Amino acid sequence: MADIMQAIALLQNACANPKAQMNQYIAAGKSVVGCFPPYTPEELVYASGMIPMGLWGGQSELKLAKSYLPAFACPIMQSNMEFTLNGVYQKLSAVIIPTLCDTLRCMTQNWRFGVKEIPMIPLVYPQNRKSPASVDYLISEYEHVLVMLTTITGNMMTEKALSAAIDVYNEHNAVMREFSSIANQHLDVITPKIRHAVFKSAFFYDKKEHAAIVRELTEGLKQMPEFAFQGKKVVLTGILCEPDGVLDVFEENGVAVVADDLAQENRQIRTDTPTHGGGALKRLALQWNARHGCSMIHEDGKPRGPMLVKMCKDNHADGVVNCLMKFCDPEEYDQPYFEADLRQAGLLCLTVEIDTQNTSYEQIRTRVQTFCEMI
Amino acid sequence: MIEPALEQTKAAEAPAKPKRPKAKSMEMIGEQTKALFESAMLAKERGEKVGWSASIFPQELAETLGLVVLYPENHSAGIAARHQADPFLQECEGPLGYSNDLCAYAKVNLAYATVLAGDSEVELPDGGKMVRPDFLLLTNNICNQLTKWYENLAKQLNIPVFFIDTCYNPWDYVTETRVRYVRAQIDQLIHDLCEFVGKQWNEERFRQIMKVSQRNSYLWERANNLMDHKPAPLSGFELFNYMSCMVCNRGKESTTAILEQLNAEIEKHIADGTSTYPVKEEYRVSWDGIACWPYLRHNLHTLKEYGINMVASSYGKAWAIEYDDLDGMARAYCFASTNGDNATTMIDRRMEALKRFDCEGTIYHVNRSCKVMDCQMMEVQRQLSEQASVPFTSFDGDQADYRNYSEAQFETRIQGLVEVMKQNREAKQNG
Amino acid sequence: MYTFGIDIGSTSSKAAIIRTGTELIRETVIPLGTGTIGPAQVRKAIFEEVDLQPESICYTIATGYGRLKCDYANEQISELSCHAKGIHFLMPTVHTVIDIGGQDAKALSIDDNGALVNFQMNDKCAAGTGRFLDVMAKVLNVDITDLGPLSLKSQHPAAISNTCTVFAESEVISQLSNDVSLEDIAAGIHYSVAKRVSGMALRIGRKADVAMSGGVALNVGVVCAMEKEMGCPILVHPLCQSAGAIGAAVLAWEKYIKEHQ
Repeated sequence: MADIMQAIALLQNACANPKAQMNQYIAAGKSVVGCFPPYTPEELVYASGMIPMGLWGGQSELKLAKSYLPAFACPIMQSNMEFTLNGVYQKLSAVIIPTLCDTLRCMTQNWRFGVKEIPMIPLVYPQNRKSPASVDYLISEYEHVLVMLTTITGNMMTEKALSAAIDVYNEHNAVMREFSSIANQHLDVITPKIRHAVFKSAFFYDKKEHAAIVRELTEGLKQMPEFAFQGKKVVLTGILCEPDGVLDVFEENGVAVVADDLAQENRQIRTDTPTHGGGALKRLALQWNARHGCSMIHEDGKPRGPMLVKMCKDNHADGVVNCLMKFCDPEEYDQPYFEADLRQAGLLCLTVEIDTQNTSYEQIRTRVQTFCEMI
Repeated sequence: MIEPALEQTKAAEAPAKPKRPKAKSMEMIGEQTKALFESAMLAKERGEKVGWSASIFPQELAETLGLVVLYPENHSAGIAARHQADPFLQECEGPLGYSNDLCAYAKVNLAYATVLAGDSEVELPDGGKMVRPDFLLLTNNICNQLTKWYENLAKQLNIPVFFIDTCYNPWDYVTETRVRYVRAQIDQLIHDLCEFVGKQWNEERFRQIMKVSQRNSYLWERANNLMDHKPAPLSGFELFNYMSCMVCNRGKESTTAILEQLNAEIEKHIADGTSTYPVKEEYRVSWDGIACWPYLRHNLHTLKEYGINMVASSYGKAWAIEYDDLDGMARAYCFASTNGDNATTMIDRRMEALKRFDCEGTIYHVNRSCKVMDCQMMEVQRQLSEQASVPFTSFDGDQADYRNYSEAQFETRIQGLVEVMKQNREAKQNG
Repeated sequence: MYTFGIDIGSTSSKAAIIRTGTELIRETVIPLGTGTIGPAQVRKAIFEEVDLQPESICYTIATGYGRLKCDYANEQISELSCHAKGIHFLMPTVHTVIDIGGQDAKALSIDDNGALVNFQMNDKCAAGTGRFLDVMAKVLNVDITDLGPLSLKSQHPAAISNTCTVFAESEVISQLSNDVSLEDIAAGIHYSVAKRVSGMALRIGRKADVAMSGGVALNVGVVCAMEKEMGCPILVHPLCQSAGAIGAAVLAWEKYIKEHQ
C-alpha cells in the first residue's frame, strides 16, 4: 500500500508542479517542447530526443491574454496565453499547436506574434480521413514539424528512434488502459481526484517513466482485495474535468469515475499506432485515421452517443457527466445528440460547465448532488 | 400571442426624403434570388436532388453537373436581416438543446432544418423555400464550425456530406502538399457526386463554367475596386447586397449580367459625379467582418450622421478565385477565404485595401458568432493600425443573433473614431 | 409525527413543518438568507407559531444554498429535488416547474410522484433572473412590486433585444429618452425575461401542468409573459416560495419511514 501511495504522490506532485518537472528534464540536458491540446505528434518530439509536455491551461487571473483573446475564447486558450505572456513557459524550446478548432487556429497567429521567444510550430491535421490522400498530406505535415524542430533545437530524428518512440507510446497506452480497468476494483483508493492525476501527470513525464510508475501503481492495486464500491458510478465526457475542486465535489457525493471520454485523459490513450503498414511516419499518420469519437475530429453519423452508452454499460455506470468546457463549440455541437442517445438508453446525463478560472464550486455542487438524488 | 414589436420605436424623424428608384442591378439580384429558390422547388417536384452548400465550396462542381444548390449561410443572413431570426434562435437554444455560444447562422439553420425534418413546428416565414436538401457540400476554409454544423445536418436529415477539407494555411502560401490533398479530394468528390446524383461529368461544360466563374470574379473585384474613386460612387454597404450573386450563383451567366450592369451603373455614377451614398462623403473607412445584418439600418444611419462611407471590406477579394485547371482550383479554394489564411496574409490584404481605397479609419465588427475572426483580430488590427497609421474602432455585434448588439455602444464608438480621424486630419493639414 | 424542512437561500430563509408526510402544519418565510440571523430566526418563529417543540420533530432536512451549514439537520438535499417534491405536494398535477429566483432560474421536470426527472439551470447570468428585473426597476424608477402590474397595462410592448443585462439597461435608458411609455418598456422587460427562461425550460420539454415558483412567480407580468412564451397556462401557488422547505419536510418523512421500516 505504501508503494501505491508513493506512486500516487509522485504523480500528484507532477500535476501540482509541472514547472519542477520541466526544470528537472532541462537540468538533465533535455529540451522540452510544449504541446497544445488536444492532439500533437508527441512521438516526433520524443524520437528527436526531447520531452513533450502538455499545455492544458490552468487557473489564472486573466490580464495580458485580454489583448489577444475576447471574453468568449475558452479558458484553456485564455490561460495558456496568459501563462506564456507572463513567462511561465519561457524555458520551452518550441510549441506545437494543432489547428483543430477555430480558436486554436487563431492561437497559432497570436503565439506567433505575441510570443516571439518561443517558436511556434503549427500543425494542420487532415479532417477528410476518408480520402487516402490525407495520409500523405499528414506525413508531410509531420515532416514540416520535424524540420522546424530540427531548425529550432538542432535535434534530429531517425527512423529507428521514431519506431522505438511509437512502441513507448503504445506501451504507455496499454499501461494506462490497464490502470483504468483495475482502478474500478479499487475505487476506495482511486478517487476521482487521484484518477485524474494519474492521467494528467502523463503530460509532464517522459512517457516511459510515467508508464513505469503507473505500472507499479496498478500492480500494487492488484495485490489488494477488490473493493465493493457502493456509491454512484459515472462516465465523464468532454475536454477535461478540472480543477480539483470539481473532482472533490464528486467525491463528496460518493461519486466515482469508472471511465472517461475526456480529451485530456482517455482520448489520449485509446488509439494505438499500428505496428505494421509502413515506415514509422506513415504508421503515425495512420493512427490519426483510427481515432474515433472526438468532437474535434470529423466523423459521420454522430457516433459519440452510442460510444458513451456502451462505455456506461461496459463499466456499470449510472450515468454520464458532460464536462462542458466553457465556449467549446465543437463539444457544443455534439451535446444535444449524445444527450438524446443517453436519454433513450435510459441513462442520466448531467452537464456541468467547466471553467478553470472559477474558484467557487457551489453551482457544480448543487448539480452533482441533484444528479445523485435522481439516479 | 402578442409579439413584441421587433422594430425599435423611434422619436419623430425628419420627413422622409423621396426614395430614389431601385437600381436595375438590384432588381436583377432580386429576380435571380427568386429564380434560384424557385428552381430548387421545381427540382424537388421533379424528384431531382437539391443540395445545401458552404459559401466557399467550389461551386463550379455543382454548376457543371447542373445541380441546384442553396446556401444556408446566405439564407440565415437574409432571415436575420428581415428580423425573422427570433423563433429559430429560441427553438435552437430551447427544445433542440443547443448552446447559445454557437454561430448564429448555424443556430438559425439547424432550427430551420428541424422544421423541414418535421420535428419542430416553428413557422417558416418564407414558406419553406429553403427546401429540404438531399445532399450537403462542405468546405472548411471559412471555419471549423461549418464542419460540425454540417455533421449535424447530415445526421438530422439523413443525407450524405460531400466534403473537401481545405486546410488552413499557416504559411504565406498554399503548400503543394495541400494542393495535392485537396486535388485528390476534388477528384474523388466529382466521382462520388456524379454517382450519387446519377449524372456524368462534362469536361467541356466544366471549362465553360470556369470561364463564366472567372469572368464573374473579375467583374466582382472590378466593381469593388471602383470604390477607390473619390467620392465613392456607391454607399459601400450596398455591395453586401450583391454578395448573394457571388455566393449563390457565381458560375451563372445571370451573375455576369448583374455584375456587368452593376459595373455600368457605377461607371455612370463616376461619369456623372453622382453616388448612391446619401450625403456628402466626409470620411472613408474600411469595414472588417461581415455585416451586422440585424442592425444594418442602425449602422447606416449612424455612419451617415458623420458622412462616413464604407469604401472597402475584406469581401472585395473574397472571390478572387483565379485558376485554369483543377490543380489551380485546389490551390485557389485553399486560399480563398480570408479566415483560412494566416495573419500576415490577412494583414497584407487589408493593408492593400486601406491604401487603395484611401481609408482614414477601420470599423471592426466583433461578430459574436465568429470566433475564427475574433480570436485573432486584436493582433491583426494592432499591426494594421500601426503599419497604416489608420485608427480603428470595434463594436460588439452579431451576423444573425439580434440579441448581441447595443445601439448606444455603436454610436459611442463611431463618435470616438470620428474624433480621432478628425484629429489626424487636422494634424496632417497642419504638417 | 412531524418532520421539518428548512430552505436556506441566498436572500431568504424558509421553513415548513409537515405531519405524517401529508398535512402541512405551517410554513414561514424570513427575508434574510444564509450567513445572517435568518436561518435561526425562521426556525424559532415557526416553532413558536405552531406551539411545538423542536424535539417533536422526528426528521429534519436542510436545503438551499446554505444547507451545508445547518448542523441540526439529519440530512441535506439539493433545492432542486426539494422544490420538485414541494410543488408536487402543493399541486399534484404539475409536471414542469419553472423557478425564477433572485439570482438564478431553474426548470424542473417531475414525475407523478414528485421525483425529479430532469432539470436545467441558469446560475451564471443575470439575464432571466430577478436581478435583471431589479436593475430595470431601478432604471425606470418604479418599485419592484409595481413593475408587474405596470407591464400588464401595455398595449405595445417595447423590444428589449439584449440578453446582456448591461446592454439591456442601456437599451431601456434609450427607450426612456425616446419617450416610450413606462408600461411598454416594463412589458418589454418582462418579455425579455420570459424569452430567456422559456428557452431554458423548453430544453427539458413542457409537460402539463406547468407551474412557476420562486420570488419572481409573484410578478404577474412575468407569469403572463411566460404563458405567452411557453404557449400554455401557468399555475402559481400562493405558497410557492416555500416549496423548497415544504418539499424538504416531505422528503424528511419519506426518509424517516424508510429508515424505520
